Amino acid sequence: MNTVVSALRVGWRTRRAWWFTATARTRERFARTALGSFWLGLSNLLSIAVLSFVYGAVFKVKDFNSYVVYLGIGLVVWNTIAAAVQAAPNLFKTNAGNIKNTNIHPIFYSLEEWSFQVQTFLQSFGLVLLALSFFQPDLILHLCTSGLLPLLNLLLFIYWLPLLLCLVGARYEDFFQLVPIALQLMFLLTPILYKKETLGSLGWTADFNPLYRVLSNLRQALIQDESSPIPSLILLAMNIAGLSISVWLLERQRKNLPFWV
Amino acid sequence: MMDTVNSALVLELQDVWLRIPVNARETRTLKKALIRSVTGGALSQTSRGAEIAALRGVSCRINHGERVALIGHNGAGKSTFLRLISGIYMASSGLFKAYSPVFPMIQKSFITGAELSGLQAVKGHYLLMHGNLRGFSAFLQEIVEFSELGDFIHLPMKGYSEGMSARLLFALLTSGNHDCLALDEGFGAGDARFFERAQQRLGEFIDAAGTLLLASHSDALLRQFCGRGLVFSQGEIIFDGALEDSLSYYHEYCC
Repeated sequence: MNTVVSALRVGWRTRRAWWFTATARTRERFARTALGSFWLGLSNLLSIAVLSFVYGAVFKVKDFNSYVVYLGIGLVVWNTIAAAVQAAPNLFKTNAGNIKNTNIHPIFYSLEEWSFQVQTFLQSFGLVLLALSFFQPDLILHLCTSGLLPLLNLLLFIYWLPLLLCLVGARYEDFFQLVPIALQLMFLLTPILYKKETLGSLGWTADFNPLYRVLSNLRQALIQDESSPIPSLILLAMNIAGLSISVWLLERQRKNLPFWV
Repeated sequence: MMDTVNSALVLELQDVWLRIPVNARETRTLKKALIRSVTGGALSQTSRGAEIAALRGVSCRINHGERVALIGHNGAGKSTFLRLISGIYMASSGLFKAYSPVFPMIQKSFITGAELSGLQAVKGHYLLMHGNLRGFSAFLQEIVEFSELGDFIHLPMKGYSEGMSARLLFALLTSGNHDCLALDEGFGAGDARFFERAQQRLGEFIDAAGTLLLASHSDALLRQFCGRGLVFSQGEIIFDGALEDSLSYYHEYCC
């Protein structure tokens, strides 16, 4: 436990540095574009528009407005989780030069990547939420009344899960090949484009799908103004456990990282 | 020389070993892990056999204010020792204690990517070192002046020449003071025109450090800065004493 606390302390002490470098990366990404980081939200909105149009017709949805909101929130959250997971296996390799030659704690690199993902998410989520408010005006109100804890859960989840995958990716070279395949399968298995009920007898798969639990927790809070905080608190406890295990594992594997990357 | 140093202990090593896995890639597949799990680890011995003892039973104590030369052939263990005391590597066994943070002067890249500007690299480095931006303007001005980058500091580093990057990195790393400095001779300093100024700055930087550990093949450089020598051979310290004695020992028995 002490090792987890001391690693988190390092993360806290260096917070301004990793947040700054992530911000610089985000700005640099769209430096030469006319619309800047507006593209983050716009690309999501385009996907939502096309997918809701196509799958709305495929599933013959009766209430198109609520379907757009359902799919839109699900997709923006999924894209965030997927982006964080996809970047994970190569994170330490990308920073190999510094891991081998500086004594910067490796938690720095994981937090830098996390803040990059958080900044990307917040920008696209903000714009998508604003656009979806056209279909369901109380979305932003629901975010303030019952969405903050689920949002925190999502932010915690996109830190510890990629970190865990990062450590596995650094240890096992061929892990990286599995990640895109697993993500594709998870996308199809996770009720994003369709409702959980559509799974029928396979509905239990969603209950054991951690990605869906995090995603649906936030989606339900925003759409239905979920009043009971219990599911979110259970998820928070699981996230804290996941965070502790990931950071503990990072500390444990820290001595091997310079030789693995 | 040994009598004049402050007696406060900075580094303490007792029978320190560092084992590095080699050809690790071959043993790092999911397939091997699965085989190991179903064979009860029977194969782990063969895979673990691919290890090299980079440091072997190293013991020494370094006090505050000492200027220690690390002497030895390539592959003798000098750079590994520097990485160990800096906290980049961790000892596989034995006792290692650092009573003061050790700054490794072996960094070859910036903490930011090449797509970011020199200014962003300097800012990121400053925030990492200080945690805030108090005094950053003066720091930046000094870095820009010394590295002679001028307005190039605002441009992405991927457009820098090798010399420009080396000058900026050198200026960054030699800014500020460090209580204990671990320095590798291979530390670059840009083009020939810059070399003289870099030497002077490096000299001042080293003089300002409380404790110095310098790995080098140059006797002249070691004589300029160090008073004590550790001679390394095959990951072991085979001689520890005054610098001149260490150099004599090295030239007599190791060359």
